[in-house]
Amino acid sequence: MDLSLLFAQALSGLSRGMMLFLIASGLSLIFGVMNILNFAHATLWLVGAYACYTFWFLLQTHDFAVWLAIPLAALSVGLVGWVIEVVLIRRVYDRELPEQLLLTYALVLILGDLIKITWGVDDKLIARPAMLSEPVYIAGVPIDSYFIFVIAVGFAVYLALWWFLQKTRYGHIVRAAVFSREMVSALGIPIPIIYTGVFVLGIFIAGLAGAIQGPVGSVTLGMDMAVVIQAFCVVIIGGFGSLPGTMVSSIIVGEVYAFSILFWPGGALALIFILTAIVLIVRPWGLFGTPLRA
Amino acid sequence: MGKKKWTWAGAVFAALLLLPTVLGEFWVLVLTEILIMGLFAVSFNMIFGYMGQLSFGHAAYYGVGAYTTGLLMVKFGLPLGPSLLASMVMAGAVALVLGYFCIRLTGIYFAILTMAFGQLIFYIIFQWYSFTGGDNGLQGIKPPPMLEGAWSYYYFALLVVTAAVAVMWVISESPFGYTMRAIRDNIQRTRFVGLNTKKYMLINFVVAAMFAGLAGGLWGPFNRSISPDLCNWHQSGVPVFMTIIGGPAGFVGPLIGSVIYTFLMAFVTGFTEYWPLTIGIIITMVVLFLPGGVWGLVERYGAALPAREGPPDDPEGGTP
Repeated sequence: MDLSLLFAQALSGLSRGMMLFLIASGLSLIFGVMNILNFAHATLWLVGAYACYTFWFLLQTHDFAVWLAIPLAALSVGLVGWVIEVVLIRRVYDRELPEQLLLTYALVLILGDLIKITWGVDDKLIARPAMLSEPVYIAGVPIDSYFIFVIAVGFAVYLALWWFLQKTRYGHIVRAAVFSREMVSALGIPIPIIYTGVFVLGIFIAGLAGAIQGPVGSVTLGMDMAVVIQAFCVVIIGGFGSLPGTMVSSIIVGEVYAFSILFWPGGALALIFILTAIVLIVRPWGLFGTPLRA
Repeated sequence: MGKKKWTWAGAVFAALLLLPTVLGEFWVLVLTEILIMGLFAVSFNMIFGYMGQLSFGHAAYYGVGAYTTGLLMVKFGLPLGPSLLASMVMAGAVALVLGYFCIRLTGIYFAILTMAFGQLIFYIIFQWYSFTGGDNGLQGIKPPPMLEGAWSYYYFALLVVTAAVAVMWVISESPFGYTMRAIRDNIQRTRFVGLNTKKYMLINFVVAAMFAGLAGGLWGPFNRSISPDLCNWHQSGVPVFMTIIGGPAGFVGPLIGSVIYTFLMAFVTGFTEYWPLTIGIIITMVVLFLPGGVWGLVERYGAALPAREGPPDDPEGGTP
């Protein structure tokens, strides 16, 4: 097999992995801190993509349309996340796992139909910004420049999150809350505010990811359904609440997907599920997680 | 089983026997769906309500059952009866292999592993064009001539579902059923008593999957066609919804849930395409304001009704 093809495939896998990282990092953070598995995470990601379409549509006469539409969409989705947290999630903090799971699953159904009502059933296309519409040549291999953009944003968000969690006071509180909410609460830190903050941050990143996904291809109804399961797989493989774990497993899943398409088309997702099942059986807390809360 | 329960069970069965004589074809079809989905939901609750674990891949066994009956009838020309038995065996066999791993985990990890395995089964069926027809599904699953009418298939389903539910009831009231409750309430203590909890959990998992397979087997000839969506994770959500609406603490909870869910769906889809929105709002309301489901409500306010199944100090009953 041609080396340049392998290189192109690896980059496409990396870009796919970075998109998964952007979705899974928030999912992992929310589960790590709040112990809530958010089924609706990818649906909010899709809301981000549609919101990006709307802002782009309103601004499309300007050159900077997409560049402004992406942050506006991310902020809007963050706002939606805040409303969901305050109105719904807050009420089920101390409920059992199945009820929390079901509430976020119900959100998938509600948001899915609201998307349909708001944006209709037609696919939406967002024109790429001029500087990202031409392929770039790396060692003579044409690479979709938008892939490079997605990869760059993925790493930037990783670094920003790492800095936040490792270097800031609030980040320390969040990390402490992953290990022991009781202890954090005993130190006089208001847990509900931390919860709301973490939830909104996670949803904001999902919204950002969705907005960036918008110009990749067309935005379609139901896109979230396949993605949410893959994001779960990433979080499981990496370990709930572990940022480096989520990064590594995102890359693994992205690359497994990209390369299995070459060798075994159709088996990509099956391989990912098998990988997830193996990790769950051998190391339920994930590659980088700690078995503390397993 | 107390006298009151027999009276209730008898009254419900009599109603199910007589109702179709006054209903039109559409509502007989809805009733049949209620029965099949009710069986599916009760089998799910063997794992959820009695063992205390949330399976998010139960549709895999329902789908395996549906495809076993469908393929045996369409490709091999086997009659319905033996096909249904094969569905149970096949679903049980798959559950034996996958369940071996699943029962090692609990809580969220159990839910996700069952889901990952469920999706794996879904993709196998989805991709295996030459055998399962892939996403085209499988058409032309015809019940035998004497069961072709809506009414006759309804009575056939009533017979099969009643027998299956009765067997599950007997299991739930047997020492085995009480072992399951013990595992749900405190797995460590159960182990200390000297019971092999893993073995019991695996048996329960397999039995639950067998009945899900039977429900799936009944679905194909009823619907005349099947598709891989029958084992996708959305389908796994349906028995969870039914059980949460009806109430997981009582044996009849999932059946009540199936009646409410299926009836509502038939009713709502009659005038709007936004069924997911409707059921989403209903689920949200039930989770927020009606923990314990309808059966929980009945038990709280209907002192005259049969005693509850769950431990008295646990308002959620079957939840882990």
